[in-house]
Amino acid sequence: MEDYKYLFKVVLIGNAGVGKTCLVRRFTQGLFPPGQGATIGVDFMIKTIEIGGEKVKLQIWDTAGQERFRSITQSYYHSADALVLVFDVTSKESFNALPSWLREVEQYASPKVISVLVGNKIDLGKDREVNEEDGQSFADSHSMRFLETSAKESDNVDRLFLDIAVELTNNVRNGEIRHDDHEDIIKDTTSVSTCCKG
Amino acid sequence: MAAATSSERFGGAVENLTEISEIQSALVKLSKEEQSVTDEIDLLLDHHGHLEAKMNSLHRMGPNLQHVSTDAKKLSGMIGSTSELAENVSSKVRQLDLAKSLVQSAIQRVNDILDLKFCTDGVQTALQSEDYEKAAGHIHRYLTLDEKVLKQALEDAGNREGSSIDASLKVLHEAEHNLKALVRKKLDQAISSSDRPSVERFFKIFPLLNLHEEGLTKFSTYLQAQIVSNAREHLEIASSVDSSDRRAGVLYADALTNLFEDVGKIIEVHQPLVETYYGPGKLLTLIESLQKECDRQAQKIIDKFVEQRDFSRKSQQVQLSLTRTTYKSSNVHDKLDPRDLDVLLAECTLLNTRTELYLRFIRRRVTSDIEVCDEDGPAKEERLSSLDRMLRDCALSRRMQEIIGNYIVMEEYFMRETVMKAVSMDIIEPGSHTSSMVDDIFFILKKCTRRAVSSGSVDCACAMLNHTSTLLESDYRDVLYGKLRAGFPSGSFDVSQAYSMLQQGRLPTSASDTNAAKLEFLTTLNNVEVSIEYTQTLKKSLVEECASLVSQNGGMSKDKLDMCLNELTTHTHKFKDVLEYGLSQLNTSAIKPRIKPMVDVFLSTSHNISEEEFSNYEANDPFVQELIMNLEQLLNEFKELLTSSNYDALVSLLTSEVTVQLEKAVLKSVFNRLGGLQFDKELRSLVGYLTTVTQWTIRDKFARLTQMATILNLDRVTEILDYWGSNSGPLTWRLTPAEVRQVLSLRLDFRSEDIKRLKL
Repeated sequence: MEDYKYLFKVVLIGNAGVGKTCLVRRFTQGLFPPGQGATIGVDFMIKTIEIGGEKVKLQIWDTAGQERFRSITQSYYHSADALVLVFDVTSKESFNALPSWLREVEQYASPKVISVLVGNKIDLGKDREVNEEDGQSFADSHSMRFLETSAKESDNVDRLFLDIAVELTNNVRNGEIRHDDHEDIIKDTTSVSTCCKG
Repeated sequence: MAAATSSERFGGAVENLTEISEIQSALVKLSKEEQSVTDEIDLLLDHHGHLEAKMNSLHRMGPNLQHVSTDAKKLSGMIGSTSELAENVSSKVRQLDLAKSLVQSAIQRVNDILDLKFCTDGVQTALQSEDYEKAAGHIHRYLTLDEKVLKQALEDAGNREGSSIDASLKVLHEAEHNLKALVRKKLDQAISSSDRPSVERFFKIFPLLNLHEEGLTKFSTYLQAQIVSNAREHLEIASSVDSSDRRAGVLYADALTNLFEDVGKIIEVHQPLVETYYGPGKLLTLIESLQKECDRQAQKIIDKFVEQRDFSRKSQQVQLSLTRTTYKSSNVHDKLDPRDLDVLLAECTLLNTRTELYLRFIRRRVTSDIEVCDEDGPAKEERLSSLDRMLRDCALSRRMQEIIGNYIVMEEYFMRETVMKAVSMDIIEPGSHTSSMVDDIFFILKKCTRRAVSSGSVDCACAMLNHTSTLLESDYRDVLYGKLRAGFPSGSFDVSQAYSMLQQGRLPTSASDTNAAKLEFLTTLNNVEVSIEYTQTLKKSLVEECASLVSQNGGMSKDKLDMCLNELTTHTHKFKDVLEYGLSQLNTSAIKPRIKPMVDVFLSTSHNISEEEFSNYEANDPFVQELIMNLEQLLNEFKELLTSSNYDALVSLLTSEVTVQLEKAVLKSVFNRLGGLQFDKELRSLVGYLTTVTQWTIRDKFARLTQMATILNLDRVTEILDYWGSNSGPLTWRLTPAEVRQVLSLRLDFRSEDIKRLKL
């Protein structure tokens, strides 16, 4: 057995080139590799952090944003504990694509998944095409948390992942999702219908 | 000194000495001191001699030292003059050395000029006799000369020699120019007439003229033309293949394979040529341009595949029906029959397998070529990363990624639809513990995941593993759970009637006959149990399948595959929960209600009995034989229909129920000594029987009852103390002191004062 108390799967999604890989690299390795090629399929990284004295292992799946990998990345939604939906604040196009990403989430992800909206690349302030209020109001209208980050300057990157880890840990502790998955579904017939959709 | 001080010390004290003994001891002390002082003086006197001798020798040394000093001064003078001399000599040597190197370079230059003349003459004759190799050899020699140095020599030499060298250089320049133009033309001609020997002949000349890149470019056009003509043939053959042909289903995969084999063969044949005449490290340039042609030809084949196999329409139809089912409005008519996809899916994975194989071949070849020319770190890194870029971004890779993307969607659809079909066509055959769907479903899952793994794409394999996990832990689990949720119908159970009902195809939901529903319930229990086992087996076999994928792709892909493989079995506990739920349902409706009346017979059997009754019981058993018979009858209803593990679980549940009911009955009864003995006998028969029907241990469940029997068999109240507390030995009491008293009080012949007085 490895040395950790909880294990969570975090999946990053969003258009190609919004900086998903950079966010993951920054958080897991403290690097900002410039000139990163497009991700092929799916990459994954592991980082163990400590929350309230307990080791929490984050399994971070970094997906390709390009359309032709969509069916590969979709297969990871179902078992994700958290989804990080990333757009690029200097690209209106990546922001406009958010609704279609959310439709996918709805179709494939588990209903108890946590989703967080992230506006990346705030270091490129002068090229900004999406202001913070728009991001925030989109997040609010879809009841997601919202955070603006810069993988390059390391702004808010740790906070993004730590917040997710804390929230997931608290959920487990409060029994909202029991991580050993002894769900109450078996005793509770009403929740079965929601799980059938899968 | 010591003596003086001590006498001073004693000086005052001697007068004060009054006792003779004190005086004596003082005397002894003083005489000892005197002795030691004398010794010291002797020692000092001895040293005196030594010191004197030393002083004498020092005196003698004095004059010698003066000699040494003058000698040293002389030596220093000599060394100084020697060093001057050496200095003089070495500067002369240096001058000589310089002169020698000047002479050498002069010789070199003369040689160069001679070479130049030789080349000039040689080139002209070689060109005239069309010996291009020789001409190129001369030009190559000339190109290695340092023209600047020659020009310098020219100026130094003045007009005398200068003009002729100048003329030679002019001739060579011209010859170089002519030769280059000629060779270019000849190679182009050879290429257009695909005259292989000439192509190779002129291709070899290019590097001699420092035209490496151009030579490779032209050569690759020649090779590209070969690829094109071969590919055209392959595609023609492919389109003429009859649909009844054995390979018809994998026609395009075959065509693609042929293309890759052609390219591979071309590389194999021409790599030595390139390496010999162009040096190592040039393969990447050649392959980059070959890959462009390979991309074009592969695209053509894939286009044809997409068109002929109706790929886009089918994949769109699948996409459509996927979104439909989530919006719960299914139109059965334009739903694609999964069977139509089977052959197509196999060909998709084969296309990708071949592509991966080919790309690995290219990677291996180019990497080893880069390894051979030992360059330093960054240049090598740069080459390797441009190889990576080429393999990753080439049109072939992209196109295959698209095909695989669509494949995954269709494969998932195929898997889900076929599994659901297996569920809907589920039949229960007599004699089989499970129904047909379990074997069917796991067969389908295995087929689909193996097919995905065979594609050679790690991401594709992972995606299908993910879909399999999802299908198992939600859809399939829901099917099983749904069947158990209705519960096990109460009432009597006729198995043969159930089978005939099911075989007539009548739905087992009809309220009038619950037998079929019961059979289905039990079969579902078995299905769940076997599914857990099958999931483990599926994972194990997939781990083996994935091993080769890992060995081809290395590090990261292993971790990815491991994660996705583990996901398959992390959800088996969900199935265990379903199984437990089902068993508890069965217990509630089929076991519990029937156990109570069986055990309640105990209440109507007196355990306050005479000797005569006791022996009468021996002949005509009043309770336990009938209980055992009833239990056996109850268990027999299930024994043949449940898997052995489920049957054992059922026996365990039944045993728990029997002990609970029997405990209640015992506590409601009264006993005398013989009655206790009777109960003990009854309990032993019951435990004996239940031990024979299951492989699990059930004695532990009877611990409390056995302890009750022990208490009911005591001769006196106080005898309990022989078994209690520090006397309990290996026995662990499962009864509380209060319960012990309660059981003791069931004995009519025990006085309650005695029981109360007990200290437990």
